[in-house]
Amino acid sequence: MREFVETILAPRLQGDGGWVEWDSLNGNTLTLVFRGECSKCLILDRCVHWMEEELEKKFGQHIVIQPVRKKPFFWDT
Amino acid sequence: MAHVKVVRRSTRPEEWTDLRFSWLERGIVRDREEITDLHIRDARQISENGYDDAPEGERPLVKGDMYFTPDGTVFIRGHATIPPRMHGENVYFSLKTAAEMIVKINGVYVGGVDPNRERFLLNPYIQGDELNIEIEAYNRSKPDDERNPASLSKRGCRQIFEGAYLETIRDNVQSLVYDYILFMDIAHCEYFNEDYRKFLFRELSRALDYVDFETWEGIDEAAAYVDRVIYRNTDFKGSGDVALVGHSHLDIAYYWRRIHAVQKNARTILIQLRLMDRYPEFRYTHTQAYTYETLEKYYPALFEELKEKYAAGQFEPVGAMYVEPDCNIPCAESLVRQFLYGQHFFRRAFGKTLDNAWLPDVFGNSWIMPQILKKSGVDYFVSNKMSTWNDTNRFPHNNFIWRGIDGSEVYACVPPTHFITWNMPSQIQENWEAYQDKETGGQTLSMYGYGDGGSGATEEMLEMIRRFPRVSVMPKTEVTGGADFLHKNLKDNPNLAVWDGELYLEMHRGTFTTKSEIKRMNRYLEGLLRLTEMVSVSRMLQGEAEYPAEEIRDVYKKLLLNQFHDILPGSHIHPVYLDAMADYRDIEARLKALLGDSRVYWNPQNFAFRGVRFVPDESGAFVRHGEKGAFQVTEAAPFDRVCFANGADDTAWFQMETKDGQTFVRTPRLSLQMNAQGAIDHLFMNGDEQDFVKTGRALNQLHLYADHPGVYDAWDILPNYRDVEEKLTLKEALHLTHVDGNCAEFESVFVTDKSEIRMYTRVFREDEAVETEYACKWHEKHRLLKVNFAPNILTRTLRCDTSAGYIDRELTKNTTWQEARFECCHHKWMDMSECGRGLAIINEGKYGVGLEGEEISLSLLRSTIRPDIESDMGEHDFCYQIVPHREDALKAGINARAIMFNTVLSPAPVALPAPLHRMLSQTSLVLQALKLSEDGKRVIVRLSEQNGSRGILKTEEKVEVLNLLEDRQDIQDTIPYHPFEILTLGIPLAQA
Repeated sequence: MREFVETILAPRLQGDGGWVEWDSLNGNTLTLVFRGECSKCLILDRCVHWMEEELEKKFGQHIVIQPVRKKPFFWDT
Repeated sequence: MAHVKVVRRSTRPEEWTDLRFSWLERGIVRDREEITDLHIRDARQISENGYDDAPEGERPLVKGDMYFTPDGTVFIRGHATIPPRMHGENVYFSLKTAAEMIVKINGVYVGGVDPNRERFLLNPYIQGDELNIEIEAYNRSKPDDERNPASLSKRGCRQIFEGAYLETIRDNVQSLVYDYILFMDIAHCEYFNEDYRKFLFRELSRALDYVDFETWEGIDEAAAYVDRVIYRNTDFKGSGDVALVGHSHLDIAYYWRRIHAVQKNARTILIQLRLMDRYPEFRYTHTQAYTYETLEKYYPALFEELKEKYAAGQFEPVGAMYVEPDCNIPCAESLVRQFLYGQHFFRRAFGKTLDNAWLPDVFGNSWIMPQILKKSGVDYFVSNKMSTWNDTNRFPHNNFIWRGIDGSEVYACVPPTHFITWNMPSQIQENWEAYQDKETGGQTLSMYGYGDGGSGATEEMLEMIRRFPRVSVMPKTEVTGGADFLHKNLKDNPNLAVWDGELYLEMHRGTFTTKSEIKRMNRYLEGLLRLTEMVSVSRMLQGEAEYPAEEIRDVYKKLLLNQFHDILPGSHIHPVYLDAMADYRDIEARLKALLGDSRVYWNPQNFAFRGVRFVPDESGAFVRHGEKGAFQVTEAAPFDRVCFANGADDTAWFQMETKDGQTFVRTPRLSLQMNAQGAIDHLFMNGDEQDFVKTGRALNQLHLYADHPGVYDAWDILPNYRDVEEKLTLKEALHLTHVDGNCAEFESVFVTDKSEIRMYTRVFREDEAVETEYACKWHEKHRLLKVNFAPNILTRTLRCDTSAGYIDRELTKNTTWQEARFECCHHKWMDMSECGRGLAIINEGKYGVGLEGEEISLSLLRSTIRPDIESDMGEHDFCYQIVPHREDALKAGINARAIMFNTVLSPAPVALPAPLHRMLSQTSLVLQALKLSEDGKRVIVRLSEQNGSRGILKTEEKVEVLNLLEDRQDIQDTIPYHPFEILTLGIPLAQA
């Protein structure tokens, strides 16, 4: 699953200036760190939902993504 | 009396007007029919016009659906019927979106929608009531500097489909909305007369009193009131004369990959074409031959329409160059090729040589440009950023003459305001207020149109233009084209001031350094292209092979594409970096395939050299750039075979002593003392008693600084970057790694908590240069790695290579102009000299140089996180040389040495006809390029005077003197040249 996130999903987000990094998987809760444009995206929840759908399609398992936004200092206001 | 602060809680009259104005827009649509027969399929773009379709295939698209995926493209198709109740009406297609869409109906490109426009007219482009709809749509995130704040809240990878409609509108409401957009903008703008603004608020409110916001009755009465009371009021007068030029800035790559620019460009052009249909007075300027090439290739129908609009005088190609490149880092020959390939495209497509360069967004402009412009048929130059981005000094001119390094002059325009505006009165007034050449420069230039990702003008902008002449407080405005503006106001204008120097941008100083690998590859490939062309000419003249013109041109264009001003400077997202590196690998492989391989080498320069070079060899004891090999003394006459003198194993030439952490080294050329870090505390040329190092300071002193420029992370280095120095721990003190008959190498190793920097310092038996190589595992964040040099040389200038001559940069900090230039661009070398001696630093891919008073620094690595989180992370390997010398840089041959330091030796003979060989090897001019002409009829010889001298070039037979576009200007055998001149000669193949 980590490979899928890092090699399939992450490049998609990068294409829009975003960035996602694997943090941890506990049970069906996947913690992902969102950086770059994702860190301040006003509608990140939509993207997270899409990622959950992609994971379910790939692994047949409902994964709940817990997004952690990591803003750079210049957006951290 | 105590001050009582009044806090108004009721709606002020101005707010009441604002509120009702916002209601007006609700009345624009009179009738709408939802398009319900829509189907969508997801895809991901993988090449300029190639897509990977999602396996799910097509699905219905219904209002409220989520659509688009990250980095996704969608294709929507559908069908609609214009309902009978809309017959005889103007019918619009409407789709509100934050994405970017190209819409085709019944096979015709009918228009585009994006965050800046949601509706376009159908009637002129369709026949009948049945509509077959095809949409290609792209949803690209955009950066913070989006000019349409209303769309920001909807930005993101996934969108909610808000429905597509056929609509009819109330023209009178729409017209009144435009009136209010115009006057409300003035009313809220402090640039305009306060009394007029008060008048506007009062009268705009009175006009709205006529309107019933339920039934939309009273609109005509309100419009009549606005016309009678506001438009016709002449009590208030404005001043100024502003030329309005439609333009859309298109970054080939930035927050999107270059493959996406193909559609961004097509959408932009489509929208402008449709506006031209409706507004015959609309004129639009569009740059970059590459964007026209892609339109011609992938959207031929649009390209044909574009040509029709060009013929009608509405669509204006501007810019002359292949792309809008960075104008600091590319070498002179690259800039020449930007014009050569750009102009040749425009000649082929439009039968026209463009006479202007249009570079609104580039990060400063090299001093070598005016000559290149002039000799490329370009008399006019436009570039915006110096006026609006400078962080310290106000650039003093807007319309002026720019004099280049060789004395060539072009007319220049640095417009007073941004190149992206939405044509509001406030922006036009601001432009006029900021214009500094009111009395000498004629009109001021205001560009209008959305940009960065394309988009361009909107209906609203053009409706504003039609209203401006009726507004008494506005400056006079004229709708014009780019070339017409320049011709009218600058041509033969005797009053223009002259700016003699580079157009330094007091911002974005980090772009000389960010993405080190891109800079290194660009420098390397510029050299490899030169070599390939030269070898190919040689083979052609020897009858060994045809000149691979198409292949070379194709490869060259790929390099030029990657010199775009958000690629080469490093200001882009990670996928753009990956694309650039893939392109570089492809270019290298194709050039090497053309060159072939050999263990015998030839000198591709037109001057002799003798010096130490690294020669790859699996059995070698040294490692340089990851390759095993040995340093050997090499020499060659111009174009001749290179001789390698294998050094003896005798190491007696090298003497070393260590004491108290200091390493004392003596070679036949140098004596130096290095500290444990590898920094050079003392450096003497043997036979000279003067230390080259300032007392108590050092050469080669590494510094790691905190580097927090803020939002413009990849772009900027701040003037206070030296305030916080980070710890660089010495893990391994300087120690000797190997010595042989030619070279002795030392190593010192530095670490941080994340990175490792291995520094190799080399001294040579037969060379006075000290070479330093860094092998870095670089994983920092917001850090800037620099290496400082404190030469014991009294000078107030730093001489910097520009790739076609040198520029003397002031080291003093007496003025704000000098202070602001704390980080500058140079090319292969920089030098500080005093009478009789000097010290040069020559590099192989570094551009940023810090001017720190008595010290200079070379910027090595940055670690920025926006736009690319991973910028510069990973392994790096780069070299430079410290070269102490007698006399000055010119007499010490520093330029030739730096050229050789960057030269890849030729694996194939460079056999030239004897007269050409003699001419080239006897001149002091540098052979910049040797190629087959674009028409395949002559050998092109490009020579560059780089020492600042004047002379005469004599040829044994008469040759053609050409401009940079390879047009014949003269036929001569005696060709005078002046300092820093670039000469282009043509030798007909029969003669060659």
